[in-house]
Amino acid sequence: SSPPLHGFLGASCKANGAVYPASSAMMNSVKKPKMEQIQADHELFLQAFEKPTQIYRFLRTRNLIAPIFLHRTLTFMSHRNGRSNAKRYGMSDMFLFVTGFFFVALSSHLQLTFTGFFHKDEKPSQNSENEQNSVSLEVLLVKVCHKKRKDVSCPVKQVPTGKKQVPLNPDSNQTKPGSYPSLLVSSNEFEPSNSHMVKSYSLLFRVSRTGRRDTNDVTDTPSRKKRSLSHREEGETTETYVAQMTVFDKNRRLQLLDGEYEVSMQGMEDSPVSKKRATWETILDGKRLPPFETFSQGPTLQFTLRWTGDASGKSTAPVAKPLATRNSDSSSPMETRTSNHRTALMTVKESVSTDIQTRKEQVPCEPRQKLRIFYQFLYNNNTRQQTEARDDLHCPWCTLNCSKLYSLLKHLKLSHSRFIFNYVPHPKGARIDVSINECYDGSYVGNPQDIHSQPGFAFSRNGPVKRTAVTHILVCRPKRTKPSLSEFLESDDGELEQQRTYVSGHNRLYFHSDSCMPLRPQEMEVDSEDERDPEWLREKTATQLDEFTDVNEGEKEVMKLWNLHVMKHGFIADNQMNQAIMLFVENRGAHIIRRNLCRNFLLHLVSMHDFNLVSTATIDPFWPALIIAQGKPGKSIFSEYLVFQQPATHYSAVSA
Amino acid sequence: VVADAEKLKQTEKCCTSMFNTNRQKIMERTDILNQEWKTRRIQPVHIMTSVSSLRGTREVIPLKTLNAVASVPVMYSWSPLQQNFMVEDETVLHNIPYMGDEILDQDGTFIEELIKNYDGKVHGDRGETLSRTNSDASKKFPSDKIFEAISSMFPDKGSTEELKEKYKELTEQQLPGALPPECTPNIDGPNARSVQREQSLHSFHTLFCRRCFKYDCFLHPFHATPNTYKRKNLENLVDSKPCGIDCYMEYPAGVVAERAKTPSKRTVGRRRGRLPNSNSRPSTPTVSSETKDTDSDREGNSMFAEGNSRCQTPVKMKLSGEAEAADWSGAEASLFRVLIGTYYDNYCAIARLIGTKSCRQVYEFRVKESSIIARAPTEDEDTPPRKKKRKHRLWATHCRKIQLKKDGSSNHVYNYQPCDHPRQPCDSSCPCVTAQNFCEKFCQCSSECQNRFPGCRCKAQCNTKQCPCYLAVRECDPDLCLTCGAADHWDSKNVSCKNCSIQRGAKKHLLLAPSDVAGWGIFIKEPVQKNEFISEYCGEIISQDEADRRGKVYDKYMCSFLFNLNNDFVVDATRKGNKIRFANHSVNPNCYAKVMMVNGDHRIGIFAKRAIQTGEELFFDYRYSQADALKYVGIEREMEIA
Repeated sequence: SSPPLHGFLGASCKANGAVYPASSAMMNSVKKPKMEQIQADHELFLQAFEKPTQIYRFLRTRNLIAPIFLHRTLTFMSHRNGRSNAKRYGMSDMFLFVTGFFFVALSSHLQLTFTGFFHKDEKPSQNSENEQNSVSLEVLLVKVCHKKRKDVSCPVKQVPTGKKQVPLNPDSNQTKPGSYPSLLVSSNEFEPSNSHMVKSYSLLFRVSRTGRRDTNDVTDTPSRKKRSLSHREEGETTETYVAQMTVFDKNRRLQLLDGEYEVSMQGMEDSPVSKKRATWETILDGKRLPPFETFSQGPTLQFTLRWTGDASGKSTAPVAKPLATRNSDSSSPMETRTSNHRTALMTVKESVSTDIQTRKEQVPCEPRQKLRIFYQFLYNNNTRQQTEARDDLHCPWCTLNCSKLYSLLKHLKLSHSRFIFNYVPHPKGARIDVSINECYDGSYVGNPQDIHSQPGFAFSRNGPVKRTAVTHILVCRPKRTKPSLSEFLESDDGELEQQRTYVSGHNRLYFHSDSCMPLRPQEMEVDSEDERDPEWLREKTATQLDEFTDVNEGEKEVMKLWNLHVMKHGFIADNQMNQAIMLFVENRGAHIIRRNLCRNFLLHLVSMHDFNLVSTATIDPFWPALIIAQGKPGKSIFSEYLVFQQPATHYSAVSA
Repeated sequence: VVADAEKLKQTEKCCTSMFNTNRQKIMERTDILNQEWKTRRIQPVHIMTSVSSLRGTREVIPLKTLNAVASVPVMYSWSPLQQNFMVEDETVLHNIPYMGDEILDQDGTFIEELIKNYDGKVHGDRGETLSRTNSDASKKFPSDKIFEAISSMFPDKGSTEELKEKYKELTEQQLPGALPPECTPNIDGPNARSVQREQSLHSFHTLFCRRCFKYDCFLHPFHATPNTYKRKNLENLVDSKPCGIDCYMEYPAGVVAERAKTPSKRTVGRRRGRLPNSNSRPSTPTVSSETKDTDSDREGNSMFAEGNSRCQTPVKMKLSGEAEAADWSGAEASLFRVLIGTYYDNYCAIARLIGTKSCRQVYEFRVKESSIIARAPTEDEDTPPRKKKRKHRLWATHCRKIQLKKDGSSNHVYNYQPCDHPRQPCDSSCPCVTAQNFCEKFCQCSSECQNRFPGCRCKAQCNTKQCPCYLAVRECDPDLCLTCGAADHWDSKNVSCKNCSIQRGAKKHLLLAPSDVAGWGIFIKEPVQKNEFISEYCGEIISQDEADRRGKVYDKYMCSFLFNLNNDFVVDATRKGNKIRFANHSVNPNCYAKVMMVNGDHRIGIFAKRAIQTGEELFFDYRYSQADALKYVGIEREMEIA
């Protein structure tokens, strides 16, 4: 089956049926060829939007865990920054704030009325005499306490609140409203217990279901077999499904408001989704299942939640509103349930965290604008479009509550640059045209060393080592224009300019030009290949001179020494020559004496003089010292050098 | 067969020893590298210890994932250079380029054409060592017929006589340490002989490159020999004061008379000095001269040496009538003759430099030798002392000339070669003038030559057309431009003159990485301003013909590093070059190339066309640099990129 498009606009939002073609209801009613067309169109739509959407969903989760920046620090999100230094909550304010929430809780009971347990996987009960028309449900109140010093992990208390038989796959038309099983949880349970300070409260639903099963069931997957082995009671198996919902989070905020809920249950034994690799996809019987398929397939538990002053009284807690509008006029069984709350619990852990996120933004009730935002998705070269609508100002990709239309548009533009957003004013609110940004540069802008982490180096770090800095602090104070929605209107020009990436710097891995080996960060500063006299050239000049047959070995040696000297220092001017010779004598003088090359060196100097490059004044001063040193064989080289050095330095002093 | 086997054995031996020395070298280099790593705090590769433990308990080791590393673009090996390197034309095809089996099979005509370019000569084809193998065969001197036969079979190996000479050379028993007859013995060695000044200095004079300051330099195949008659400033040749009690100046009057006599001989002496000079030395090649390789140099030299080696036994200097007649060794005598050409009558200085003789002994020796010694030159009559006024006029004409040259429609730029036409002004016959080049300080003409570039007198940065050097597309010459700062601050990078970057090698730090466009690219480490110098485009300097031949192969590879330098030469960075060779072509580049005259050499500078940010890739327009560079640096590359 093709993955449905639900969920493009947020985890708890369902597409507006107006233009949206892929609902099962339509599939049934429309003729075959049309359906194929729809399917093809749907494929195109998916092709365009699926990947970036998935990426942004993933990034959203990642940013929740490890935020790169805080939205409230952004100028266009300043309203999210609830505090300013002036009106920071004092300690007493905080206390009031906290107790205020508890007041709601304390004055009430929590009433749960269970509509039924839905599991489409199994064939619906064909014969009524089958005893499997109900499952047993156990509701536990889980209290996660604060860690005490001696505790290793947070102590968890589970308080059973009751067991009920809940109808399995009931037909909503037949069952009378009054006959649903119901449970009451006393508000006393939410009071702080004596022994531990309770951090958070949550409800744990545990559904156990006994099913008859043929022993020679061929379709059984190995994992199921394994499970049935452990629970086998003479051909009967017990399957357990669980789900957990937070009532009060660790900030003591009420998470469950009045309303109808449908909770996706998780098989107890097989946890196909490993907690560490949580995605938004559910796996059912080994098949991957998009998030909202869970609700058509099950297993889900449906119930109504009310906070009542007494066991039969009116609700006292604010009623949670649906996150988005859905048309509830459709007659299909699936659609009847769309007005209910749906909380997809993929894994217990993840659902809790996402839950917190969405609720957090809802609870501090802001004055809500009654804006309807139409997202118009353009694809297939802008020839096709699909529209979905939302009634709030949450970002559909990362569920961030932007509170203002301007903020929302700014956020979309800056944070979701894989798309192009164009704002079009609309009588009911706003229309946002969403198309794919073809110019998006998805290239890696992180530290290039990280992708190319070099074996042998990256893993052998035992201490601090230098890294290339790829982040720089930029201080930019542009002239801010007044926030205006007009900046999001489609512009005719400058589109390209806006998409320009501003990343500059060394955002790549460099290589040594001689060996093609990656350049290590600590090697960045030195240009290792800029030698004026690379080794091969030094060798070359020596061999080239050696090849001469009519040059004697003394001449050759002096020439080689001199060539290396010139190559090393890169002399370029005639008027550098006096200095060059002084330097040569300083560096190589001892060597010349040792190798008995004095006269050859003198010839070299005379030759230089013949070329009009040095004056006799350069030749004269240090020469006697050289001769003196030469005339004393057997003396240590070092002392010779010292004697030799003297006139040289003397000369430079004079010339200076 | 036996000879062959012997030869095989020998080559094998040779190979083994080569391999071993190479290995030794590698080991040494590895040690150096490891040492360097230590100092740079790069931690060594962690070596895993064995997992299997002693008592059968299981040990757990953290699993580390090695990411797949993207492969780098192909790079053919090349040698780093920071200055151009001139190479000769290749007359044989060194190897048949391999471009994959398909090309070899399908495009046989290409290879054929290629071989035809080299007159069918491919390296290692045949007969390379034939003559040598034959000569190994017997100890007796072979009959002339054999040489005739070889010569007729392999005419390219030389005539019969030449082969005979070659045979002698190859078979002759060489004494250890013995030198070929044409070589002057080492003046510091035990076999030092007494020879003429020119012979002593011959090697130094002929091999020294006055432009690179190196011996047998890589860039200039022809080295001008020094022109000893052009001293810029006459040094104080004679010490006015005696150097000590024993100084020859304290000597009786006869000396003074002798000294007084010498000037009369001066003109004669000069001529004489000049004569052996021009005879013995190979004439300085000029632009017009045919390619003259070092062999002919050597021949000339050997002829000269033979002429001298007639007096094989060192001439014993008999100091007649002197009681304290000193014994002059060959080395001392040679040294004396060398120094007398530099110090003339300053015997004290000569004695100091010889070290083992007193100035009196030197003086006496000089008297003996008086007939062959060059004299101190008098001030040249034809060059009147410079006067300011004249110089100003000179300047004005030069500036006009620069303007003229610039306006000249001729787009051709010819290579500069120092001119050498003694006693003739630089007129229309001067090679510099005909090539429309200025005379440089390397020319043998007078420093007052009308064709010389005067340099600039800027006090600014020389980066506008106000500077005559900049206007003439020349870098400032540190020996001419003395006010702009081109001749100052040799050690620091802060030179006020901005027009001397190529010669100083003031290049920017470049980094190599896979290009965003194609293959490898080059990236700049630090941001640069517009028109700032980035790097010199270095490589082998080859003739236009050679570039044509090489270009055929490069075009086939779709990868060319050829860059037109001037009408005579092309820079090829394929085999040798520097990092800027990796800069890619772009029609909208951030760099531009400019061929500049830098101290007599044309060199290619790469400059920033606009301000360039940190880490930007560098591009320049391959075609824009020179009108006809297009010919070699193919447009194919663009297609490859697209």
